[in-house]
Amino acid sequence: MEYLQFVIIIVFSPLLQGVIKKLKANMQGRVGPGVFQPYYDLFRLFKKDMVLSHVTSWIFKATPYIVFTSTAAAAMIVPVITTISPFGIMGDVIALIYIIAVGRFFMALAGLDAGTAFGGEGSSREMTVAILVEPMMMLSIFTAAISAGSTNIARIASSQNILYSPSHILALSAFIVAIIAETGRIPVDNPDTHLELTMIHEGMLLEYSGKYLALMEWAHYMKQMLLFTLAVDIFFPIGISSDTGFSAIVLSSGIYCLKMFFMAGLMALIESSRAKMRFFQLPSLLGGAFVLALLSLLTYIMMGK
Amino acid sequence: MKNWIQVFSIIDFISVGILLTAIAMNAFRRIESCVRAYMLNSWLLSALIAVVAFLIGETHLYIASIITLIGKGIVIPLFLRRIVRQMKITRDVEPYISNVLSLTISGILVAVVYASLREGIFVAGFSRNVLQISVAVILIGLFIMISRRKAITQVIGLLFMENGLFLAGFSLTFGMPVIIELGVLFDMLMGLIILGIFAIQIKRVFTSSDLDKLTILKG
Repeated sequence: MEYLQFVIIIVFSPLLQGVIKKLKANMQGRVGPGVFQPYYDLFRLFKKDMVLSHVTSWIFKATPYIVFTSTAAAAMIVPVITTISPFGIMGDVIALIYIIAVGRFFMALAGLDAGTAFGGEGSSREMTVAILVEPMMMLSIFTAAISAGSTNIARIASSQNILYSPSHILALSAFIVAIIAETGRIPVDNPDTHLELTMIHEGMLLEYSGKYLALMEWAHYMKQMLLFTLAVDIFFPIGISSDTGFSAIVLSSGIYCLKMFFMAGLMALIESSRAKMRFFQLPSLLGGAFVLALLSLLTYIMMGK
Repeated sequence: MKNWIQVFSIIDFISVGILLTAIAMNAFRRIESCVRAYMLNSWLLSALIAVVAFLIGETHLYIASIITLIGKGIVIPLFLRRIVRQMKITRDVEPYISNVLSLTISGILVAVVYASLREGIFVAGFSRNVLQISVAVILIGLFIMISRRKAITQVIGLLFMENGLFLAGFSLTFGMPVIIELGVLFDMLMGLIILGIFAIQIKRVFTSSDLDKLTILKG
């Protein structure tokens, strides 16, 4: 069972996306598509033919597989419903962030590969955002890692049941900004449109179609669920089970569903209540969040909790 | 109730809030938001005093808390807002340094304070953390005064420094006698009124409240 918990992320990540879309639509007074719509979309895309530009190189064809497998590999490290993680020895939270970065690197290359203006634009923006987000994510995770005495995610999750101190609240708020930036949600990027002047993530995928597009989209959903799970594991791991007995797993799964639903609601709320920022104002938001993360670490070191 | 304050580390939360509002001031360009940050800072300061007063059971601290709330939390922000409306300026255009850089510098200031005040001067009082935070607020207020162009934002920087000084004194001595607090507050109010009138006069004479223009000689 514990070997298969990463399958949860692969299978249920489109559902999470559907739930976020549905909640967002309801908050805005629309009916919205059903929660299973992302599955239908993926299924339809897998059946379709692909159009490949003849100027593209092998990078363009390899990228969907690299992005998908790197995200799946990252999902193996994260404890989802039990902290007994057999792949935990494979890597810690730092490895996780850089496995995700491999996928991002190839995605940016593929955006440049087709040679269109929008792809290059998307890649350059994605890398700009990534430079700002990565150190902030690291710092906010380090706050939790120091108090747990380890960078292993399973150990962080099992060592602290309740986190209630100024430093953790600061780190959590910085981490939520990092999640918003990484998953391309509204103050940073608009996930719903292909409006050419504003897109970041969509810009890089513009040349993809059919099966490759499905893989890229699916990898994006997985990355989103992975980051939510990481936030839950690090900042409020209460309720995650530490053994693999049947009742413990059932209870832990229920709590995990509730937490994911809460995260989805939070994202939908932020997306409905905020307007997208201009790209050149982003450093201001992300810089502010970076200072929050820095303060959280300093406060932890000073107050000792 | 007292137990409850300890368990949920209310004092830590409020003092970190005071630090955060001071840092947030660096990110704001609209002067109304700066005034709001100062108002929040004063409210948190007053709340901190009230919590400490409750913990140690001192009556005169309650009075200090109420004076802070009324003076710094209500009267001064309202006065500042009136000046802003009269001068018809809404934002600090062309700051000396960018938002992100000034945020980063204030973060570094906090790090320097935390590192240099780790041990030593704290002898009595209720919390070493609060002392460190108060020194950080003083330095951030000073930094705001250096890095802003407009007269009115520099005044707000001064007010932040005063809040920091008040907090430093309070964390070391559990507050000075009420009569001194009253005197300080009254002084500050007078100073603020004079500075406000100055700012309006500068605006009228130079048709701008940008203090850089004061280097130009007028015959």
